Amino acid sequence: MAGASLIERVWETLARVWFGIREWCGDAAYERYLQAHTRNACGGTKLNREEFYLQQLQKRYSRVSRCC
Amino acid sequence: MKRLGAIAIWPLLAIGGALALGKIALFRGEIINATWFVIAAVCCFLVAYRLYSAFISAKLLALDDTRATPAERLDDGRDFVPTNKWVLFGHHFAAIAGPGPLVGPTLAAQFGYLPGTLWLIAGSAFAGCVQDFIILFCSIRRDGKTLGEMARDEVSKRGGFIAQIAVLAIMIILLGVVALVVVNALKSSPWATFTLAATIPIALVLGVYLRFLRPGRVMEASAIGVALVLFAVIAGQWVADSPAWAKVFTLSGVVLAFAIMAYGFLASALPVWLLLAPRDYLSAFIKAGAIFSLAAGIVIVRPDVHMPALTKFVDGTGPVFAGKIFPFCFITIACGAISGFHSLISSGTTPKMIQREGHARFIGYGAMLLESFVGVMAMVAACAMTPGVYFAINSPPAIVGAAGDAATATISSWGYPVDTATMTNLAHAVGEQTLFNRTGGAPSLAVGMAQIFSHTIGGERLLSIWYHFAIMFEALFILTVLDAGTRVGRFMVQELAGRLWKPLGRTGWMPGILLASAWIVGAWGYFLYQGVVDPLGGINSLWPLFGIANQLLAAVALVVATTILMKMGKLRWIWVTLIPTAWLVTITMTASWQKIFDPSPRMGFLAAARSMTELIAAGRVPAAKIAETQRLIFNQRLDAVVTAVLAGMFLVLLVEALIQWSAILTKRRAAVLHESPYVATQWAAGAEGD
Repeated sequence: MAGASLIERVWETLARVWFGIREWCGDAAYERYLQAHTRNACGGTKLNREEFYLQQLQKRYSRVSRCC
Repeated sequence: MKRLGAIAIWPLLAIGGALALGKIALFRGEIINATWFVIAAVCCFLVAYRLYSAFISAKLLALDDTRATPAERLDDGRDFVPTNKWVLFGHHFAAIAGPGPLVGPTLAAQFGYLPGTLWLIAGSAFAGCVQDFIILFCSIRRDGKTLGEMARDEVSKRGGFIAQIAVLAIMIILLGVVALVVVNALKSSPWATFTLAATIPIALVLGVYLRFLRPGRVMEASAIGVALVLFAVIAGQWVADSPAWAKVFTLSGVVLAFAIMAYGFLASALPVWLLLAPRDYLSAFIKAGAIFSLAAGIVIVRPDVHMPALTKFVDGTGPVFAGKIFPFCFITIACGAISGFHSLISSGTTPKMIQREGHARFIGYGAMLLESFVGVMAMVAACAMTPGVYFAINSPPAIVGAAGDAATATISSWGYPVDTATMTNLAHAVGEQTLFNRTGGAPSLAVGMAQIFSHTIGGERLLSIWYHFAIMFEALFILTVLDAGTRVGRFMVQELAGRLWKPLGRTGWMPGILLASAWIVGAWGYFLYQGVVDPLGGINSLWPLFGIANQLLAAVALVVATTILMKMGKLRWIWVTLIPTAWLVTITMTASWQKIFDPSPRMGFLAAARSMTELIAAGRVPAAKIAETQRLIFNQRLDAVVTAVLAGMFLVLLVEALIQWSAILTKRRAAVLHESPYVATQWAAGAEGD
């Protein structure tokens, strides 16, 4: 029983780390966008993954995004 | 009992930090172990975070977790995205961590390990972290407004314009200087040049993959890219060993400078998905990996620090750069302790993604502490070399002589013994033709890092691989700043040019793109070129210029922060920002004055120009060299003008702020804050990934 809970805890930790890495590197950004789009029920056109990726890049690199 | 333990740990950490700092500061033996640096930094940073940042949060800013942040109120899944605080910490740290905290401490090691280390620890805790944290807070309360917008709203309209121009000017100097660091690292090094050149086609492949094959799958593309880059590091050795290929990739400083300018132009003008973004992704993973490996390596290897606590060069006669310990230690360390550029990130993306006001402390204050820790690691890596080797690598030929024996004789005569055989063997071990006169900080840091890495994995056998891995890491790191900075610079130029003629301001109009890209590349390219042809190695004059500009921007941010705090009625605690502001004004104004007017030609821009003019007039410059000398004279005068203009712009802003402060204090003007109105959060405490 204790072994199972340890495995569960390890699994949960790994899942959190995986979530963190996906969020940090931007892999999860499109899923976030879809959630926000549904949540806010905006009537605007929903971007597909490629359009969203390109739009994100345009925004990120039009302002200071890296320091010295 | 648990609570008692939690309370007791802080005095213990404070005592540990004090003991370690005491050991570093008072030890006067031949060598000291790097473990003391790690203990001092970790303990001091933890205590500063626990106590000082908590004090600022509670007394000065009164962070309010019941108040909805812009990310909650304006959530659109694109600009305003509520983000887990650990993930946002990672984003923010990746954005603020640049080559500055690596190069600055490496150069400042010229004064010995003590002044730089103390400033890294104290400067970040009392100035750098405070600036990042408070500007982040101010921007959150203003729907993510930029520093320029806040300066315009809270100080004066002119203040906003000055901040905008200052950012552009600083960016131009910064890009020129960091490009020079790359040129000096790659000069006459076919292995390093091949490795870095190979990252361009790798980035292009990743760009196509991320755009057409698997849009937005950054992690898998980065994994492929990192594997290819590591292969390129190994393949570089085969290139260096092949006489025919080595010849192709052995390039002079001038050729490399033009190659980097061409790269900057392409990165600015080409679609962002093709080159800039994939290279950034590639760099992010390698940067995170290399920084954590360096910290782990130092903890595992626990190298001895051979550099003395203070060198004889505190008097300003050092070969790496001219200038006394005050103010140039602080100017040189720059980003490792406080960076004006961070205020642009703290008022950029981060405030639009933060879930709760309370997270600003961890992200704003905490990320800067981590950056400063990287600076301490760089200081350790530089000081782990024997001083003779350090000075042999970092001294320009105009000071120590180009030939091995002449350089070692000069450096040994200063009391830092080194011999030609040691330098030749070291160069051979790291796979370079020579390590003499490799100014800029990058090669010496790479040697230090490679020695630490090779003691952890692989031993002497892998020293050359580790050295070139470190060079690749530094160069990739810098080129990411260079290409992203050039593109942002292009947008700034287009915005300003658009005021003169509207079509130039359209960011999608190709002639405008090409013209603005050429202008911004030409501007930083000029500084790069003057650094390459400078007989003192360029870093000698350009790094202090960059340091002054960067610290002036930090002073601008702190003036804006002080004005806002004054309007918030926090007069009792105003010293939190006022003392670092006063300190920055003192060091930047002293440094600016000395760089412009100091009578020594090695130090003062005008004195250097005068001295060269006199040499020409006295007929002591060969006819073939007169044109080149006249160009050097022009460069020195240009540097003097740039320094004076930057300092002048800051003084105008400071005077405007002083008038504003005086009006608020004497109640002649109402203290009007431009905060967004309070809206209560709809999120329960601990919800949304807290």
